[in-house]
Amino acid sequence: MNEATLERMPPLAGDIPTTESFEALYERTFPKVYAYVASLLRDRSAAEDVTAQAFERAYRKRRSFRRGRGTAEAWIFGIARNAALDELRRRKRRAGLHTDPEDVAVPNVEDHAERSLRREVVRSALAGLPGPERDMVALKFMGGLSNAEIARVLDMGESNVSTRLHRTITKLREACDDRA
Amino acid sequence: MTELDARIESDLRVIDEALERGTASAPGGLERELEDLVLELAADAPEPDPAFATRLGDSVRSGFLPPRRTPRLRRPGVPGLRRPPMVALAGAASILAALAVVILLQGPDSQPEMSARSDGAADTSAPPEVGASAGRAAPEPSIAPSAPLSPDGGFAPGREDRRIERSASLTLAAPPDRGEEVANDIIAVTDRYDGFVLRSSVSTADEGASSGDFELRIPVPRLQPALRDLSELGDVRARTQTGQDITREFVSAGDRLQSARAERRGLLTRLESAETDTEAESIRRRLDLVAAEINGLRGQLRELRLRSDYATVAVTLERTDDEGGSSSEGSGRDGLGGALDDALDSLSDSVELLVRVLGVGIAPALLAGLVLLGVRTARRRRREAVLG
Repeated sequence: MNEATLERMPPLAGDIPTTESFEALYERTFPKVYAYVASLLRDRSAAEDVTAQAFERAYRKRRSFRRGRGTAEAWIFGIARNAALDELRRRKRRAGLHTDPEDVAVPNVEDHAERSLRREVVRSALAGLPGPERDMVALKFMGGLSNAEIARVLDMGESNVSTRLHRTITKLREACDDRA
Repeated sequence: MTELDARIESDLRVIDEALERGTASAPGGLERELEDLVLELAADAPEPDPAFATRLGDSVRSGFLPPRRTPRLRRPGVPGLRRPPMVALAGAASILAALAVVILLQGPDSQPEMSARSDGAADTSAPPEVGASAGRAAPEPSIAPSAPLSPDGGFAPGREDRRIERSASLTLAAPPDRGEEVANDIIAVTDRYDGFVLRSSVSTADEGASSGDFELRIPVPRLQPALRDLSELGDVRARTQTGQDITREFVSAGDRLQSARAERRGLLTRLESAETDTEAESIRRRLDLVAAEINGLRGQLRELRLRSDYATVAVTLERTDDEGGSSSEGSGRDGLGGALDDALDSLSDSVELLVRVLGVGIAPALLAGLVLLGVRTARRRRREAVLG
């Protein structure tokens, strides 16, 4: 990276001094943001567009980040979530969140048959969940966010998130048992 | 903590620990099932295409230059200025509106001298003289309403019997041991000139020192001798006289009274010749209205006569301290003490203005906040509707 590029990559703004640059944040969160967006959109191409759009938007708004209002992860996931929801609305895919993806995850042929079967069961159970619950599961397991960060993204209380998450996991486990 | 809460907490801890380790550790049962499930979910996370990851990484490192999308047309503005957030704009607008309301509400009261002059009345003030050198009787100001204007901006030219409403204010200072005596003398002087005390308020401190306020009514022809006698009761700190022409109001009320009386006469004549009960009833109703108007106008004229026949005299009685200055006021002092007093006064005025602005501005600010909150909530719900 040359000197000019370094100048364009200032540390994240915020009321608490931080030395983390936007690039470091990107490196740390990119795979998780992509996974989260892809699980919401269920379309690889759209997920790439929305992920790129979310990072660009975050880069342009990086000076508005305030650490006192949540972690950088929660901030970037909030932006990505809004972008994904906007994309869903734009496309008006009626069953966008209720149909299985065609190209999100290609089955690994080397997987053991039993494991592949187990994975299909989980995916099927996940697809049967209502949209908001799938959103929460995606933030937790695809995005790897803590409950406090999910609360920040969804604008809810942390205890509320914990309760809902537990209920959703229980529902998911029961659905998997039914399908197994 | 209830049993359910404990179970939720325990399950969530199992989930977080399994995610952190990346492997299941429970020997079996529900806990193991839970671990397997969350690990399966995490393992099924879609992975980005390496080519896309490289492309986006390059974009991030280059600062997203050039822009990927067509830039929006922007309004011409000063380069380098960022658009202020809507909340700040709404707050600033609320404060400005509140300030404007306060200024409008305060306008006439905050500038008494200007308003007195705009009435066309003479306003004469004796400069406050402090200390033993101050004369006991200040030079008597004269009232010269040379271009009288009524409060509504008009006047009644060509009339010789002008009606002038006069008022005066007098600030007297007396030593602490003479306060009560002077207060009694003020009432005695009022009686002597056939006036009356409309309101009085006298406070006496522990050491017997008195101070107070008096609102007197003195017949206008005897105002000047009464003021002279009042001024001799103590050190005159300030003396003001004003006159306001109320001739136009007086003439107007008189004219309207005449008209009303004429109308009543006409109505009575019509009543005598009324041919039907309905007509008579209608005329009687009108007569009632005219009678009420006549009564009101009479009262108005009586009030105007009272205002022009009796001058309002406000007397403030203060204590003098050992140095001869007034103990109840700090203004008029020179040097560091005076400067400090002025600074405190300014500070007090600023705080008062701030409190007023906050008082008036808090409602629009709250409203703006609620509107912004509502807009944000509606936008969020509209956006999230696609999930439901």
